[in-house]
Amino acid sequence: MTKIVTESVSRRTMLERAAKLGFMGAAAPLAVNLASMGEAAAATAPGGDYRALVCVFLYGGNDHPNTLIPYDKINHARYMAIRGGVSFQRKDLDATALKPIVPQALTDDQQYAFAPYLPRLKILFEGGKLATQLNVGSLITPVTRAQFDGSNRALYPLPPKLFSHNDQQCYWQALGSEGSNVGWGGRIGDFAMASNDQSLLTCISAAGNAVFVSGDKSLQYQISPSGAIKIETIQDPKYGSAAISEALHQLITQPSANAMENELAIIARRSIEMEGIVNKALDKVTLQTSFDTVPGDNSLANQLKIVARLIGARKELGSRRQIFFVSLDGFDHHSNLSKKHNELMSKVDEAIAAFYVATVEMGVQREVTTFTASDFGRTLVNNGDGSDHGWGSHHFVIGGAVNGGRYYGTAPHVSATSDDQVGQGRLLPSTSIDQYAATLARWFGVPDGEMATILPNIGNFDGRYLGFV
Amino acid sequence: MIKQAAKPTTLTAISEAEAARFLLRAQFGTSEGEIAAVRAQGYAAWLEAQFNSPRGQKGADWLDAHGHNAVTAEARYFWPQAGDYMIWNQLLAQPDEFRQRCAFSLSQFTVISLNPIDGYWPPYIMAAWWNVLLDEAFGNFRSLLERVTLNAGMGMYLNTKGNLKEDAKTGREPDENYAREVMQLFSIGLYELNPDGTEKKGPDGKPIETYVQSDVTNLARVFTGYDHDMSRVQYKKVAWQNFPVITPEFTSDPMKLDPGNHSKLAVTFLGTTIPANTPAPDSLRIALDRLFNHPNVGPFFGRQMIQRMVTSNPSPAYVKRVAAAFADNGEGVRGDLKAVWRAVLLDPEALAAADPKDALHGKLREPVQRFVSWARTLGLKSESGNCEIFATSGQEGLGQSPLRSPSVFNFFRPGYVPPHTAIAKAGKQAPEFQIANETSIAGYINFLSWAIRWGYKDMKPGYEAVLPIAHDPPAVVAWLNLHLAANQLSPASCSLIATALASKNVTPDTPRDAKLDMLASACLLVLSAPEYLVQK
Repeated sequence: MTKIVTESVSRRTMLERAAKLGFMGAAAPLAVNLASMGEAAAATAPGGDYRALVCVFLYGGNDHPNTLIPYDKINHARYMAIRGGVSFQRKDLDATALKPIVPQALTDDQQYAFAPYLPRLKILFEGGKLATQLNVGSLITPVTRAQFDGSNRALYPLPPKLFSHNDQQCYWQALGSEGSNVGWGGRIGDFAMASNDQSLLTCISAAGNAVFVSGDKSLQYQISPSGAIKIETIQDPKYGSAAISEALHQLITQPSANAMENELAIIARRSIEMEGIVNKALDKVTLQTSFDTVPGDNSLANQLKIVARLIGARKELGSRRQIFFVSLDGFDHHSNLSKKHNELMSKVDEAIAAFYVATVEMGVQREVTTFTASDFGRTLVNNGDGSDHGWGSHHFVIGGAVNGGRYYGTAPHVSATSDDQVGQGRLLPSTSIDQYAATLARWFGVPDGEMATILPNIGNFDGRYLGFV
Repeated sequence: MIKQAAKPTTLTAISEAEAARFLLRAQFGTSEGEIAAVRAQGYAAWLEAQFNSPRGQKGADWLDAHGHNAVTAEARYFWPQAGDYMIWNQLLAQPDEFRQRCAFSLSQFTVISLNPIDGYWPPYIMAAWWNVLLDEAFGNFRSLLERVTLNAGMGMYLNTKGNLKEDAKTGREPDENYAREVMQLFSIGLYELNPDGTEKKGPDGKPIETYVQSDVTNLARVFTGYDHDMSRVQYKKVAWQNFPVITPEFTSDPMKLDPGNHSKLAVTFLGTTIPANTPAPDSLRIALDRLFNHPNVGPFFGRQMIQRMVTSNPSPAYVKRVAAAFADNGEGVRGDLKAVWRAVLLDPEALAAADPKDALHGKLREPVQRFVSWARTLGLKSESGNCEIFATSGQEGLGQSPLRSPSVFNFFRPGYVPPHTAIAKAGKQAPEFQIANETSIAGYINFLSWAIRWGYKDMKPGYEAVLPIAHDPPAVVAWLNLHLAANQLSPASCSLIATALASKNVTPDTPRDAKLDMLASACLLVLSAPEYLVQK
């Protein structure tokens, strides 16, 4: 439990380690798994009736310019010039430079590298299991820079409270500002509830309350990384007595005329009822994949591990369509970006790669699609040793069903003056969250005709399905 | 001198339950003496007495006294956990309990968090931060705003520390973090408000934004040029590391300006222009005055203080009265926080009896409040005085840890609406429900069941007030219901609990340990019951 805050590993050592991992080391099992992908997939009964979407939310606004980095000489030089002290040297990117499966012509002939701390994700990309969606963000309708600068908000409405953490988190999750209480994951879940024996296990968060997994009908069920939490005293009176345990059960679950009290009782009833069912099913799951391949705590890996175990328990629980939410905090890198962002990238890399391997182990990699989301992207311009709140960002989609190893959308110029940004390199999104979500929802099984009920603004965008899955 | 905000009251006018209800809002716990004092003095006079009562031990002094200033090869000067011990000691043990409660409310409006405060002396950084909140709890909001802005910990948390002016050559721009959050969270909020806290609407029927991105970018220039003030710091060479250990004065001194790093550009924000080349201290004064005098502050801040202490859904009229007290304390002073606390706690809406027909009355007590309330009321004592309570926010813990908000947006948002609830259907808010779910409800009860029986490290519960009546379950329940819940547990629940406790067969001759088993069980039942959890 002792948390010692010191400069643990030098940047150089970290880089060296990351470079090594890219080729061998702890990433080797992943490479092996990828090589045997075909067999594993074949072993899966075709038409196995299961689908899951997993949202990995990076709270605080991920610094996309240091996640997917211009690598060709010309654009890298532009990036260096604008980013100053928070940039990667080109040679630091050699090991994670990306080779798309099929050559792609991007804006200004850009080539990209992943952050040096994403060696495993590079393997997934080049194995065709990870797609990169470029410059996606909150939009109500497509907007050009001139329309953004203009004042015709009736024709070109903008999402509420751009650049504000809580509001843009909410927009990503629920397509509205703070206070919205139905998320698009939950709305997808509404379509799927009837498929599951336990309808409460349709929308699940391992990261605390999140509007993403709250639907019109479907509730968000919370789980902890260790499984469902049992109220111990109800089953084991300890220093109390059987009568006291019984009274506890009754007190915390009895209905009340006071709405707040009643809601607490409802949550307690759900907690108790589901705990037995869920933990019993989880106990039968054996998962070999290690989620701890890098030294240090990784809360995202812990959350994805319980998601993997729940997927492992899908037959026992009668789960056929599930939406999961996990998150990692701390991406608001106004300062000390280089060090802190690198640490978080390592966690993302470890967690997402382990989760993918776990789906391969369970033979469900084609049935599980994972995607990233975040408050917003950040400024390309630096503020000394960090970056500021932006708008559009780059995101990852991972899974066996993903048409990976390539980029989707339009690469932005590496610029703080071009028309695809709105100042300081804040990207004006060229793809909407609605399109990103529609593509995932379609794969999950939502019919085209129902898409507008989940994503009310989807009709404003041409090409609603982006093709990455 | 100070106007009475409520009519003087007499002993007979305030019942025991009413006094307990008032105390459970104004501070954490209750004692028989405090209930008697409130009944004797009346609410307003009791508040005045608290305003004039002595301060407790300062956090930094407590850290010193417990050896947390030691410079050893263990390098504890980098460790955060004594910061947790410090704040728990303040909340659990310092005598200025009303001031502590006010500071706790402020700490959820202007937020910094021990996670992540790193580098040298995190515990002292948090102690200095807490001290600002305690100092200003009975001071003025304008002064609070300035001290918050220049606080060393806030400088780290929202990046005013080391914030540099623009540099055309490298393209570097000032950091916007503090400029944004000081508006969005610490003063005016996102939308123009009426004095009663409701949103103003524009001609298009939509809320009116208080600021846009250019206001943030401009205001950011005001906060450039500051860094920790190292002028009193001493640098000490040590054998175990190749850089010096520094002394912690920088943690409590306001940040210092380096004019060379301060932007000289003009600043235009919220309709005010600070001319180019204005000296930094004048820029700061003008900017903070502009924020402080914005008509939003009273309703924006006031409503949240009501939510922290009294109810999640105050009426607009209640908010308006608190905002009016913020605008003018009766003597022409704006921002007098004593006037705010009086207005929050003495408002007729707060003091009126809970309407049993109002299904949405009250607020969910937050976990820290529950635990501190129990500890202060039943007596959690440490022999060593060490108070070694570490972060308690985990799912196997209390579910909340003071000064460890997950972000500057606090543990929960003032406008949080729990989906799929009668609360949402009624269009009401319930901030604390943001951290209530299947996991946290179970984790809280598990945490309690251990802590209330066995304590926490060397802190042990005494139960002195109820040990003598442990053989009488109905009396125990009645005592707990009054002191922890202001008699808000129903007779049926009290009877259910008393009947269950009778199963322990405690008699006057029962050994103390067995009595403690029964008393801890009693507390577990009370503190887990929704009728307790919702403070009405």
